[in-house]
Amino acid sequence: MRYKSQSVAYWYFAVAMVLFGLQLVFGLLSAAKYLGPDPLLYILPFDVTKVIHTNLLIVWVLCGFMGGTYWLIPDESRSELHSTKLAYIQLVLWTIMGVTAIIGYLFRYGTGNKLLEQPLPHKIVIVICMLIFLYNIGMTIRKSGRFTTTEGVLLLGLLSSAVLFLPALLHYENYTVSIYYRWWTIHLWVEGVWMMIMGAFLAYLLIRLSGADREVMEKWLYVIVGLVFIAGILGTAHHYYWVGVPAYWLPLGGFFSALEPAALVGMAMMAYGAIRRSGLAHPNALALHWTVGSALFAMFGAGLLGLAHTFPSINKWTHGTLITAMHGHAAFYGAYAMIILAMISYALPQMCPSRPDKGTSLGYWAFWMQMAGMFGMTLSFATAGIGQVYLERVMGMGYLDAQLKIQVHFLMLIATASLFATGVGLYIYDFFRFRPVFDQAVEPAAPGADPADNREPVRGSV
Amino acid sequence: MTTRQSRIFAVAATALSALLFMVLTVDSHRQFQELTQSQNLTPEIIHGKDVWHKYNCINCHTLFGEGAYYAPDLTKITQHRGEAYLQAYMRDPSNFYDEQKHRRLMPTQDLSEKEITDLILFLDWVANIDNQGWPPRPILVTGGFAATAASAATGDRDAAPPGTTPVGDDDDSRAKGQYLFNTAVPSCSACHSTQPGADMAGPTMAGLVARTEELLASGDYQGEATDVAGYIRESIVTPSAHVVPGAMYSAGGTSFMPNTYRDSLSEEQIDNLVDYLMTLK
Ligand code: HEC
Ligand code: HEC
Ligand code: HEM
Ligand code: HEM
Ligand SMILES: [Fe+2]
Repeated sequence: MRYKSQSVAYWYFAVAMVLFGLQLVFGLLSAAKYLGPDPLLYILPFDVTKVIHTNLLIVWVLCGFMGGTYWLIPDESRSELHSTKLAYIQLVLWTIMGVTAIIGYLFRYGTGNKLLEQPLPHKIVIVICMLIFLYNIGMTIRKSGRFTTTEGVLLLGLLSSAVLFLPALLHYENYTVSIYYRWWTIHLWVEGVWMMIMGAFLAYLLIRLSGADREVMEKWLYVIVGLVFIAGILGTAHHYYWVGVPAYWLPLGGFFSALEPAALVGMAMMAYGAIRRSGLAHPNALALHWTVGSALFAMFGAGLLGLAHTFPSINKWTHGTLITAMHGHAAFYGAYAMIILAMISYALPQMCPSRPDKGTSLGYWAFWMQMAGMFGMTLSFATAGIGQVYLERVMGMGYLDAQLKIQVHFLMLIATASLFATGVGLYIYDFFRFRPVFDQAVEPAAPGADPADNREPVRGSV
Repeated sequence: MTTRQSRIFAVAATALSALLFMVLTVDSHRQFQELTQSQNLTPEIIHGKDVWHKYNCINCHTLFGEGAYYAPDLTKITQHRGEAYLQAYMRDPSNFYDEQKHRRLMPTQDLSEKEITDLILFLDWVANIDNQGWPPRPILVTGGFAATAASAATGDRDAAPPGTTPVGDDDDSRAKGQYLFNTAVPSCSACHSTQPGADMAGPTMAGLVARTEELLASGDYQGEATDVAGYIRESIVTPSAHVVPGAMYSAGGTSFMPNTYRDSLSEEQIDNLVDYLMTLK
């Protein structure tokens, strides 16, 4: 840790870890209800456990993004944060917002709009937090006078995330119109501007970990951003097929969303190229596992499994089945959960002096158990989903009867999810095992280990 | 490619896509009215939509295929279930489904009567939105393989649904009736099976003839038919003339079977159905 103010990141990560653990409790509860009968039917029905599961996901992932950014910006701009006080106020507000929203859901206090269930007051707090955050980051960069391309892409991603949240604050009388704009937030987040955040984190980590050339990385970053938006913006149409919009969205969605995997392949190539060309220039091999793992798993979960059901002729049958859940899990985990876990794994040894630089063996167990667990969950959702599509959608068996026939896949889901949750449990335990020390600036393990700092940066302008 | 070129690529790609997206958004707005018949959006329907949101239905069900996968899709539910049925179901789902049998049950949602009425109006508005004929085959709540029917909407109908045999004009009346049983809108098979003992939203059609003969002889019968064929015809045309007992079949003397077949089926089609059902001794 070069800059003392980077320590705020630790607390963002800590909150994210706790919420991540809680998310899985509600995921497992939801999965158990697939098997049924449900003894908690009138205390904690499925809709409540599911809304809490997905909302905790959003809250902790965004919290991780903010923590990661507070860690990254001082490193890139070579300066302390503008205000740590603001950063802590923002974290407290964010945590209160998240926790009260979850408590509210227990009492069905929410908007009942998928993934945007946060009540209006909470949404306003989200916007306030984003504004504080952007102001704090913006001022840091301004004061330092050093603005790299990585930061530019990251900042633009964060800024656009805030802007794209605005349609979610409005009220629509026409359900179709409300769906139309819901995707401006959800799809353009995960397949648009969040990819910029992921790309920037990835570039930062690769530069630090592998000693890849900054100029090459940043060139890649631009190409990836271009690919993301060529495909991603019009790719929104793959959510417009069956919701009451004009027919021309069908071919548009098929064509442009089929291009979306290109950006994900680009990220995987960027990671692979960096490692091949520059090797490992940093002792933290565990962080490298997470970094490269994220690029590869995102290519699989988002790119490949997204492509699998993105053409209208296939989506017609798979739309709104467990196939969607299969893709949702693998994509979200690979692209966003893993990149945050990578950022944490990289930053942690620098904040906790007693922690080994190359990562603990517990850390490696956590990595591989999560990989195996999430892969198994993806397979379970996939086999359940194929069964559902065939029996219910193609053969015309009733929904409830078809679900009874795929029970065995739900058992498999719970088994693999337990493996996954154990891996996450280990990660969280490993996170809190070593005390952080913030009063002195801890130098990175090997002097000169951050080759990025030995080179003059490209003065990016975006 | 130099960094400069790659930056130009990024900016230009984004700007162009965003521009096209905006143009199409404006055009979509011009068409929403026709596609969704938004002129029919009454305050009741809008209230029904708020009810849908208020009770978090979306986190168990899907609507337009969006939501959660714990419970059936409801996009076209009003085409499979009449209003009276949905009213009674929303008041207490446990009268209709057995959690031990299906391992899932919808918890009672405690809606007010006004909320239920408006919610059903909303779901009916949804069912009539032009959404490119999705789902291509009806998504049923219960039923086995035989319960297959063609789409109510204009999907690709060239191929007959699995489990049915396409019929031509000069086929046997009973064959046409069997086909209709699976393809009428809403399809009879969404509520009736032909397997003995397999009651769904309506009683099984297996053994229909025998039990009707008993009924006609017993004196419990309240309708106007004098023979079995007449009884079946009456069941289709005026379902409430006589109702099969059971809280899941009727309320206040009104059958939950839709009373729309009188208008939507031709005389000949009703004859076909009666001929077919007469074979189910
Ligand atoms: C906790 C999950 C859950 C919630 C919340 C929920 N449902 Fe259901 N719903 C189910 C299940 C499961 C079924 C399948 C039939 C059954 O088991 O009762 C169902 C079936 C239905 C049916 C079809 C009944 C039939 O026989 O055709 C309708 C209509 C329906 N729900 C409407 C709603 C509405 C409207 C809401 C919101 C007010 C809602 N549901 C909320 C779980 C839920
Ligand atoms: C929404 C569900 C539903 C649909 C669709 C439906 N029915 Fe029914 N049907 C019922 C219910 C509920 C009853 C029992 C109450 C009654 O007697 O009206 C019933 C009763 C009947 C009976 C009398 C059964 C007996 O045991 O006496 C016949 C015959 C019948 N339906 C035929 C049909 C035919 C033919 C169609 C298609 C054209 C059809 N139904 C569509 C729900 C449905
Ligand atoms: C990191 C990237 C991605 C994430 C996190 C992600 C996540 C998700 C989630 C959560 C859903 C369900 C949304 C809902 O129903 O509310 C979804 C749906 C979908 N995604 Fe992705 N996705 C990603 C990338 C992609 C890509 C690259 C493609 C296509 C190539 C794709 C294709 C689809 C399709 C077609 C659906 C609709 C499924 C349906 O019809 O039910 N996704 N995605
Ligand atoms: C213990 C592990 C987990 C279990 C058992 C689990 C289970 C579930 C279940 C049962 C659902 C509801 C699906 C439905 O609507 O019917 C769900 C939804 C979802 N979960 Fe998980 N989950 C787990 C971990 C995760 C993780 C780690 C992530 C992301 C990183 C995640 C992201 C999501 C998303 C995005 C949805 C919404 C999907 C959609 O609507 O298509 N889950 N999960
Ligand atoms: Fe998407």
